[in-house]
Amino acid sequence: MTDTHMIEAEVNGKRRKLAAPSRKLLSDFIREDLGLTGTHVGCEHGVCGACTILLDGRPVRSCLMFAPQADGARIETIESLAQDGDDLHPVQRAFWEHHGLQCGFCTPGMVLTAKAFLEEVPHPTEAQIRAAISGNVCRCTGYVFIVEAIQAAGKTMADGARTRE
Amino acid sequence: MRKRLQERLSRVSIPASTLGEIAQELASAVKPSDFRYTVPATVDEAVSLLSREGGAGKVLAGGQSLVPLMNLRLAAPTLLVDLNRNPDLQFVRDRDDVLSIGSMTRHHEVATNALVAKRLGLLAHAASLIGYPAIRNRGTLGGSLAHADPAAEMPLVALTLDAELVAVGPGGRRTIPAAEFFGGFFTTALEPAEVLTEIHFQIGGTTEPWAFKEHARKTGDFAVAAVAATATLGGGRVQRLRVGIAGTSDRPIRAGELEQMLTGRPLSEAREALSDGTVRKTIAAQGAGDARYDRWEVAGVLTERALAVVLAHSGGGA
Amino acid sequence: MNKPTVDLADAVARPRLLGAAIKRREDPKFLTGRARYVDDLQLPRMLHASFVRSPMAHADIVSVDVSAAAARMGVHAVFTGADIAASAKPFVCDSLHPSWQSAGYPPVASERVRFVGEAVAVVVADDRYLAEDAGELVSVRYAERPVVASIAAAVAEGAPKVHDSWTDNLYVKRHFREGDPDAAFANAHGVVRLDLNTHRQAGIPLETRGCVADYDSRDQLLTVWTSSQTPHLVRTGLADTLQIPEHRIRVVAPDVGGGFGIKCHLFPEEVVVAVLAMKTHRPVKWIEDRQEHFLASIHSREHQHHVELAYAEDGMVIGLRAKIYVDCGAYSMWPWTSTMDTGMALGILPGPYQIRNYECEAYSVATNKCPHGAYRGVARPAACFSIERGMDEVAHRVGISRVEVRRRNLVQPEQFPYESVTGLIYDSGSFVESLDRVCEMGDYKAMLEEQKKARAEGRWVGIGIACYTEQTAHATQEFVQRYVPIVPGFEAALVRMDPSGFVTVHMSTHSHGQGHETTMAQLVADKLTLPVENVRVVLGDTAATPYGHGTFASRSAVLGGGACVQAASKLRDKLIRFAAEHLESDPGDLELVDGRVVVKGAPTRGISISEMARWAYHRPEKLPAGMEPSLEAVAAYDAPPGLGTFANAAHLALIEVDPDLGKIELLRYVVVEDCGQMINPLIVKGQVHGGVAQGIGGALLEELIYDDQGQLTTSTFMDYLLPGSTDIPNIEVGHLESPSPFTVEGIKGMGEGGTIAPGPALASALADALSPLGHVEVNELPLTAERVRWIMRKARAASQA
Repeated sequence: MTDTHMIEAEVNGKRRKLAAPSRKLLSDFIREDLGLTGTHVGCEHGVCGACTILLDGRPVRSCLMFAPQADGARIETIESLAQDGDDLHPVQRAFWEHHGLQCGFCTPGMVLTAKAFLEEVPHPTEAQIRAAISGNVCRCTGYVFIVEAIQAAGKTMADGARTRE
Repeated sequence: MRKRLQERLSRVSIPASTLGEIAQELASAVKPSDFRYTVPATVDEAVSLLSREGGAGKVLAGGQSLVPLMNLRLAAPTLLVDLNRNPDLQFVRDRDDVLSIGSMTRHHEVATNALVAKRLGLLAHAASLIGYPAIRNRGTLGGSLAHADPAAEMPLVALTLDAELVAVGPGGRRTIPAAEFFGGFFTTALEPAEVLTEIHFQIGGTTEPWAFKEHARKTGDFAVAAVAATATLGGGRVQRLRVGIAGTSDRPIRAGELEQMLTGRPLSEAREALSDGTVRKTIAAQGAGDARYDRWEVAGVLTERALAVVLAHSGGGA
Repeated sequence: MNKPTVDLADAVARPRLLGAAIKRREDPKFLTGRARYVDDLQLPRMLHASFVRSPMAHADIVSVDVSAAAARMGVHAVFTGADIAASAKPFVCDSLHPSWQSAGYPPVASERVRFVGEAVAVVVADDRYLAEDAGELVSVRYAERPVVASIAAAVAEGAPKVHDSWTDNLYVKRHFREGDPDAAFANAHGVVRLDLNTHRQAGIPLETRGCVADYDSRDQLLTVWTSSQTPHLVRTGLADTLQIPEHRIRVVAPDVGGGFGIKCHLFPEEVVVAVLAMKTHRPVKWIEDRQEHFLASIHSREHQHHVELAYAEDGMVIGLRAKIYVDCGAYSMWPWTSTMDTGMALGILPGPYQIRNYECEAYSVATNKCPHGAYRGVARPAACFSIERGMDEVAHRVGISRVEVRRRNLVQPEQFPYESVTGLIYDSGSFVESLDRVCEMGDYKAMLEEQKKARAEGRWVGIGIACYTEQTAHATQEFVQRYVPIVPGFEAALVRMDPSGFVTVHMSTHSHGQGHETTMAQLVADKLTLPVENVRVVLGDTAATPYGHGTFASRSAVLGGGACVQAASKLRDKLIRFAAEHLESDPGDLELVDGRVVVKGAPTRGISISEMARWAYHRPEKLPAGMEPSLEAVAAYDAPPGLGTFANAAHLALIEVDPDLGKIELLRYVVVEDCGQMINPLIVKGQVHGGVAQGIGGALLEELIYDDQGQLTTSTFMDYLLPGSTDIPNIEVGHLESPSPFTVEGIKGMGEGGTIAPGPALASALADALSPLGHVEVNELPLTAERVRWIMRKARAASQA
């Protein structure tokens, strides 16, 4: 008999309650059970970073967690940010403006990693940016425009924060 | 499970880190085998759950090493005992010249905790080099030690700093010196039902100079070799020297010969051993005839660089 | 040929979008997680497949017992090779070359396995977890056979044969000779001989392969969603192997998470999943896992070259001889055949240089390894590595700089169009200028100064340089010369204006990162003087696009773009003729301006395209007599002369080597590239960055290692290292534009280019950095730290001896 567990979590701001078998990877749970296919799976052994989500605000590999471990947690996926082209998060907007994506497969994990990083380090150096995304493989862009985009997004976010104050 | 893994690992010609060598023997897999998942309220409950499972159960700590193995079906525990919800295992405490760190303390915390940074810069720095940011957000100190990857940072630091590992098992609580803890590829002194609860690091009244040098093929990758070093310098002499090496063997080792050679020596002599290549050669010589000789050479270089940092301290005062 | 019927080419004002760096229109869906890749597809009643794969490199299958697996709860069926063979033929991809030896690739092996990872059974279950559980219970007995795991083992006397019926382990033996190489070598001032190896690597898109198949028995329609660059070719391949007419198959390649050439082949799994859907009457999904991708998709780059360059006293290379071996693995991949790399290497080895006397033998070798196929750059990284290492060596022997030897040997500006010794037509280019420009941009002189200073400080700094020309968008003539069974000579586009005056472009090419939803719209919008927002691009669905071959070989901007422009031009012509009737003017007196057809010189006299669009559909009585209603046009384009259009670039690298650990750090990487008329410079730059990053990965990190028993020892991302953000420097890119005289708008292809030169540039830089150890030959890639340590150990030993 499969061992199943009830999982109650805050997903992109909403309470969700669903059952899943113990062995269901959190990445599969998010994609298949929560229907949030913006989280991608590229290696399922924790190296590529495509499946990165924010768990209680911090980037983690959703392929290296089991669904029941998310019980009680706060999950943010790419779908937690803007849902159309008009209301993009500064990181999304900067990726668009600086051509920080090509095939788009690494993009959700990359954007979430960058967002969490910029919230923690508002005025990063290039080296800090490169270190922050070192666990997110992009096979298309050579990272040059991604780094540029994160730099630009950092400025926008810092300016925004200053304006709000 | 551990036995199955060891069987596979024993056939591998280079350390850990190279799952491909092992995984190729299996049908390709990327979803774990079935298991039961439990969240014990206490360590004692965890221990009793594990003992009932008779060796087929496994602690789920950060999961950053275990879960990849499970996804590739190189590990197939029947029961996972999740300690992530146990707040009692996440702490950093400074008491009586001992820094105690809870086994479930995450690498990110170890790397950024002010107390660790102040009292054990070596540990904090080494933790900051583990994998990638997302890995450090989940991975734990205890998990890394219990996983015992011979190329990993935490086992190396624990061995170099003569840490003591506290484990709770069916027979009660015991303390295992790091020197007796690591038993080979992915093998430790832990009994199947024992749970690592905390790690003790002796910290003297002063802060010793330290260095950590590793050579990885790329950022975040497992080290080809890594060296941790720390010294007590005083009266113009090397009073105590501790040098640990990872990556060259099936477990982290101490550079015993080198430590003996330089301990008690005047600083000038020790520095000369660096500049004339003696340090490097002493380490490399340990790998003579080893199929992994190249790694020993790398370790020699890293040792030289680590000692150059450590011995650059004046050694005048303390 | 492909000319519009009425020449109204001057009827459009100066293009506003061609060459504009506009941001990509497809990005919002990717940025918000709403893109749809194959694995995002969930169909009702869908089952999941998992393959059981051979752990043996070469063995006879004695028996396959699926009973335990089939009995598992949640398992719907388990099929062996014999079961699949009843429904699908092996795919045979034969070259037409006379020396070719043929062998079919069975979708699932039933008698013999020829590489580790070859499928031997497939499980269909309720979910992937259950399918993998059952896969572990499939029991296969093998009788091992001797393994051939390298070129050397395969060509050795008495080597075991990969395919029994063959006379040896060579798919093909090719020979080429032009000019008088014997005389050139006899008269040479000196001869450089090099043995060069580039090791196995692969494209490794971040999205693995995967497909979903669904069979609708009511309409007898098989639909296959697959992560592919070439949906139409996959449809043809499925039709051939399944013996179903093409009109009963629809192939959809939705958003594709990177291809890099890997996804332009027909794969066994695509055929098998289609069979499973038909057999189970349920939709079936298979998503490749990363290990499968390493073991059983497509590898590339494994070349062994033995080259000899005869040079004159002034460093001019007067003769070239080469022997080329490519380790093509166990099977010939459909549709390119195992001659692809060998043929390409043979043809392009002389590179951008004026070499007139050339002889080459080229062999495609069969081994018990994963099949070898396309990966961005195909053969050119190896060919460029060989000729560039040769040029460095000639410079060293003659005593001139590495820049100077190239400047002398490169095809000079006044020589274009230049017919190469192998018959390729270098249509235009800036071979010398790009070299000069890269030295300016990188400040080569300052680099030399920095190097001098660094050496004085005991730092090991090196400068590397490499040039290439990239054959792009090769069409009919080239593929005919390659002896391939399918000649992908053209691409097609259908441009359809709807009654509202908005436009949809349906294309045979696909986009998997290249931004065609933007660039193709730019081209069409320009022709019709519409805002780019009014043009939508549809790709990837055989039911919605005209037949063509797809996106590979840096062809889409030229061939797909050319087709777009020609179809849009036909539509423009029709609009003008339509308007002429109403404006009572001669078509030649009209022009398109901002979405209106107006009288030249009298712009107030005009009619809007949107109004005509209404009429064309809803007021056909307004059409001129004899004009067909509706507004659509289709065009297929085969760029003349069919041998491709040639892009070029020069790369300059500044590196520092850790003298003890062998690790190479990139201090600077500068590129000056020329791909003719650019459609969108932002996208061009992004492609260069990405290509260079893959090239750097290939030069420094990436290596698929087989042991002598054919076991792949690098089947995870912990063993096979992809370059990360900290491994790639801030790549500096400069552009030159030498439009092609042959293609529509003067566009050249460029997608692959970046990958070609980093290997030789970094090898050149390493040899330079290590020059304090003496003259060091760097003839192997990738230059992992371990390999560099080995090179240095060898050099130190030699300098001591």
